[in-house]
Amino acid sequence: MKIIVPVKRVASLDDEFEMREDGRDVEPDFCEFDLNEFDEYSIEAAVQIKEANPDAGVEVIALTIGPEDADEVLRKALAKGADRAIRIWQDALEGSDQIAIARIIAKVVEREQPSLVLCGAQSSDHAHAETGMAVAGLVHWPHAAVITHLDYRPGAQSALVERELEGGLVERLELETPAVVTIQLGINKPRYASLRSIKQANAKPLDVLTAEELGLSEAEIGVPGSLSRVRRMFPPDRRRSEMIEGTPAQQAARLLEIIKETLH
Amino acid sequence: MIPNGIDQTEVTRILFQDFTPWMVALFYAYAVAAIAAFVWGVYVQARKYLRGVHPKSIAWPALTRRAAQAAYVIASHASVRRRDRSAGWLHAAIFYGFVLLFVGTSIITLDHDIAPVFHARFWYGAFYLVFKLTMNVAGAALIAGVLYMMYRRGWLRPPKLDYARPDRNPADADFDRTSYRIEDWAFLWTLILIGITGFIASGARLVWLQHEPAVWQTRWWSPVGAMVANLLQGLGFDAQGAGILRMALWWTHGLLALTFIALIPYTKAKHIVTAAATWLMRDPAAVARLPQGRLDQGSIGYKFIGDLDSRYLLQADTCTKCGRCHEACPARAAGYPLSPRDLILTIREHANRELGEFFPRAHEPISLIGEGVAQIRPDTLWACRQCGACTEICPVAVEHVPLINMFRRTLVDEGVMDPGLQRTLGAVNKTGNSFNESRRKRPQWTKQLPFAIKDARKEPVDVLWFVGDYASFDPRNQKVSRAFAKILHAAGVDFGILYEGETTAGNDIRRVGEEGLYQELAHGNIEALAKCTFDRIVTTDPHSYNTLKNEYRDFGGVYQVDHASAFLRELVASGRIALKQKLDYTVTYHDPCHLGRLNKGYDPPRDVIAQTGANLVELARNRDNSFCCGGGGGRVWIPDPPGTTKVGEIRAREAAEIEGLDVLLVNCPKCMTMLEDAVKTSGNEGKFRVLELTELLAEAMDLEARPAAKLALEAN
Amino acid sequence: MSGILVLAEHRRGEARPGSLEAIGAAEALKADLGPLAILIIAAEPQKYVEPFAVGAVDEIITVANPAAKEFEPHVYEAVLSRVIEERKPSLILLPHSIDSWGLAPGLAIALDAGFATDVFGIRREAGEIVATRAGYQEKVWVELDFPQKQQVILTLRSGAFRAPTELASPKITALEVEGVKPRSSHLEWRDPPPSGGIDIPGSKFILSIGRGIGDEANIEQFAELAESLGATLGCSRPIADNGWLPKARQVGQSGQLAAKCSLYIAMGISGAVQHQWGMKHVETIVAVNKDPEASIFGIAAYGIVGDMLEIADELRKQVAAAHAEAG
Repeated sequence: MKIIVPVKRVASLDDEFEMREDGRDVEPDFCEFDLNEFDEYSIEAAVQIKEANPDAGVEVIALTIGPEDADEVLRKALAKGADRAIRIWQDALEGSDQIAIARIIAKVVEREQPSLVLCGAQSSDHAHAETGMAVAGLVHWPHAAVITHLDYRPGAQSALVERELEGGLVERLELETPAVVTIQLGINKPRYASLRSIKQANAKPLDVLTAEELGLSEAEIGVPGSLSRVRRMFPPDRRRSEMIEGTPAQQAARLLEIIKETLH
Repeated sequence: MIPNGIDQTEVTRILFQDFTPWMVALFYAYAVAAIAAFVWGVYVQARKYLRGVHPKSIAWPALTRRAAQAAYVIASHASVRRRDRSAGWLHAAIFYGFVLLFVGTSIITLDHDIAPVFHARFWYGAFYLVFKLTMNVAGAALIAGVLYMMYRRGWLRPPKLDYARPDRNPADADFDRTSYRIEDWAFLWTLILIGITGFIASGARLVWLQHEPAVWQTRWWSPVGAMVANLLQGLGFDAQGAGILRMALWWTHGLLALTFIALIPYTKAKHIVTAAATWLMRDPAAVARLPQGRLDQGSIGYKFIGDLDSRYLLQADTCTKCGRCHEACPARAAGYPLSPRDLILTIREHANRELGEFFPRAHEPISLIGEGVAQIRPDTLWACRQCGACTEICPVAVEHVPLINMFRRTLVDEGVMDPGLQRTLGAVNKTGNSFNESRRKRPQWTKQLPFAIKDARKEPVDVLWFVGDYASFDPRNQKVSRAFAKILHAAGVDFGILYEGETTAGNDIRRVGEEGLYQELAHGNIEALAKCTFDRIVTTDPHSYNTLKNEYRDFGGVYQVDHASAFLRELVASGRIALKQKLDYTVTYHDPCHLGRLNKGYDPPRDVIAQTGANLVELARNRDNSFCCGGGGGRVWIPDPPGTTKVGEIRAREAAEIEGLDVLLVNCPKCMTMLEDAVKTSGNEGKFRVLELTELLAEAMDLEARPAAKLALEAN
Repeated sequence: MSGILVLAEHRRGEARPGSLEAIGAAEALKADLGPLAILIIAAEPQKYVEPFAVGAVDEIITVANPAAKEFEPHVYEAVLSRVIEERKPSLILLPHSIDSWGLAPGLAIALDAGFATDVFGIRREAGEIVATRAGYQEKVWVELDFPQKQQVILTLRSGAFRAPTELASPKITALEVEGVKPRSSHLEWRDPPPSGGIDIPGSKFILSIGRGIGDEANIEQFAELAESLGATLGCSRPIADNGWLPKARQVGQSGQLAAKCSLYIAMGISGAVQHQWGMKHVETIVAVNKDPEASIFGIAAYGIVGDMLEIADELRKQVAAAHAEAG
């Protein structure tokens, strides 16, 4: 039995940054990269299923789409307990939106036939919250988003899941499997991947494929395979530390105005 | 010396005088049994130690040097006398008494059992008399020492001997230390009874043989024996009665002494032997340079007792529970569940269960880390500040700090840690600093300087300043960094920094137990430094200083590294720094563990303080006895549980006790963060300033504004 | 292709506010895109007609399905696809709610429609829809367009658009959609524990206090102030360390991340980097501190140099006065 865990190498920006020349993204020099925080939880959820069922032959496959740099997040996933990793890249994938990425993941899902696909509920850089559920749409699998509890025994026809809704309300439901679910923060306590375990993860298999090798046509990948296009990216106008002068009463009055302006 | 008319060969003691052959045989049988028990015990203990990890060969040249050092420490009793002078001197009395009595007994055995073979008996006459006197002095010293120890344990009751376990609750199965208390008292009573029965037997013999001039006329060569003889006579003992008494006490004394010997390997008495071995194998840099971990092996830290280095198993057995570490430990003082002593005793108990059985049986190893009996709790390991106070004061050379670190490596590998710490490690892995700030922001503190600092990556410099994390990112410490830059600039020093090329030196990452990440950081910095041209490295951060100086060499980075305080002393001494003000402050100085205890940098900062004119009043605990700010060992990244006393608050209160204190001087960015915080939370905010040594010097140089007036500060 | 379709969200018998905001967003686009229809999918959709008959709504389409008593993504997706195929709207709007997270991507795939989530700005440019959302943890804004897409699906950020309140009298159309099958079954609801009121990560507005508060006795008045302002009370590490406030209120590296916060008032917090870790990304930070050099001013949008107790006192007075006036 297999579990596929798609992961993403996300970027966080410096306080000061410059835009790329085409104005459609940030100059990568100003980014720090790391494994998407949500994916830490989906990896842990998958590994916990494996560890809870030692005789079920569960194989956890970490998957990412990106150039060679993205290997580092796969190594981290392997260090945290994934058994093997797949990275897919070719230059034509540049400019893909989340849907185009989902098309690739869906191909891998069709190929590997896992029982579960566990995605992070969203990525911590752009927070689209699209990829996982788009994969479900592409493979026509049952799905549930933003789950905070997952109860699944390998071989079972369904899983018990809990979704966390607005205001902390929880919905418990039974979901047919195989299924795609997206994992919310806090579902578990992701384990720490020590540098030693990351280094030792080098011994685990990591396959590199192109989208073409997966059987995707040019029309399905990259820009043509996307449902949106970035026209422009820009830092919004923001004032910085405007000092509020005056008596405490005046200062408090202005502060109340700011509260009103910001919240309404 | 020998009274007239007495043949000097008669001036001796006839062994087994008036013993029947079966009595002699019985004695020898018991002696052989005792020695057999001793030898078996030594074998079982040695087998236990050797079931740890140990090198295949011994480095002999280093061994002779170590042996000389060990001999010095043992002979001088320097380590036992520290911070407990009376107990130290009286332990020396017991030690020398015991050694002399042991040598004396060996001499008698030599004379009685071996010398006759060569017709070379020597235990008579003048030699015998001097021997007797020596034995009397030794016996008296032993008894005096043991009496003091009984007085200390029974009446003085210093808290360090009360065995209260901070790492257990009273309800826990292994909270109770009664067995150790029984052992302690049994040890003392056995020693004192051996001494007393020896003297009474000796006195009784004199009374018994009062009619033999060779005995009676030389009796004052054994003064204690002679006094006992007088006493016995006063009590009405005649020769015959004394003879019976002598026989009874001879046996009591002999059997007690033999039993004591038999029990040495099984009881705390073993430290007589093992302490010599721990001193012989002691690593003087145990705290400053932690063991180099192998990342390519199955495990990186200690988990099972068999993972431990044999040295540590030996150390765990050597601990005499003297409590000096317990007393010195800042975590213990602040109420954290750690006592270095109890940690060592837990290892001992675990080793005895797992490796010390008489007849070993095969079984699954039990983790040494856990919540159960004879297991070390993770909370205990995480309480440690790695400040080295315990290891530094241990009189028998136990190395708690690297041991705790080796356990932490397992905790880190298994992810058993505070979530905040886990986030910090993740941040260091990602950004190369513990602040989760982008690498780009590291040199931002330099922007507010009126001059540009050289980029050591681009041009050669005399002094490469390794700034470190806290000095680069923490707003309060950035001010200090700028003050230091201004001083160097004013002194005309040719210096530069690595700008974005620097990552955290990793000292505390290693002390947390993330050895893999530490090695990665070390390799990264060594690589960056290799591309620069410089004469020496200077840093204001004692943590960076320690690892650059002591640990990077294990990875190929060998540099001349100086702490800022030493460098500033140099600049002042050579006249490159012009002091414009005599500061009239009353200051005190907090020794950072990593500069002081770990690297003996006690004097340079004090010399600099003296130069500024400030009046230095020492803290109650200073120099090697300095008390950690609470931020060591990665604890700066682990929140203290709500409601607990912070280690730093204890230190802040200690400073606040100093009459008229103007400035608490620190000399480490982490100490600044911790103590400035602690001064506030301990309710001492506004009473005195917390300043870096560098800032004090900058004030004396008129590079930094001095507070408008002392009064203004007091008025707050 | 013309018209706008908004999905009406409901849960446990109540209409959800996000859909009303979507109606507000659609209003400005009606002139270009055509009439606005609301789709209610429910076991008894009539129940929700009234709350959604507001603003510029022209038509309410109801689809009754017993499997849709509560949101079920597979049922919703199938019904939506059919209705969209039939009505061919050029713009489909959903709230960016947890339910939509599980619904919208699959729908976009099924329709091959242009798609963007968490949108807070919509406009038309040269006949094309342009959507604005944020990126890189709110540090940049991103404009998206949808080349060659006949239809566009957008999910809208909560609070970004005004919900209309004026009533409307739209045409009601009941549609039948046959043969849709749920693939999950609702078992139960579980309400959050009543005491779990402390939600720093989920709060939009946090009033945070630091060491400047001085004394534990002052905590209570700030708790009251936060409540009267509608803010969640947060704190810096020393306050939690002292046990003055529960750990769940601590913002920072060793505490909580103010993940969804848009207004953060930091009072008496000097702004140690550890604290900044938890809040520096917040769009509007107001700092109140005695020390004009406090590093918190380096990241705050607004700064007040002053005594937090004095400012708090003024705030309390003015809020009370405003209430008295309003009441």
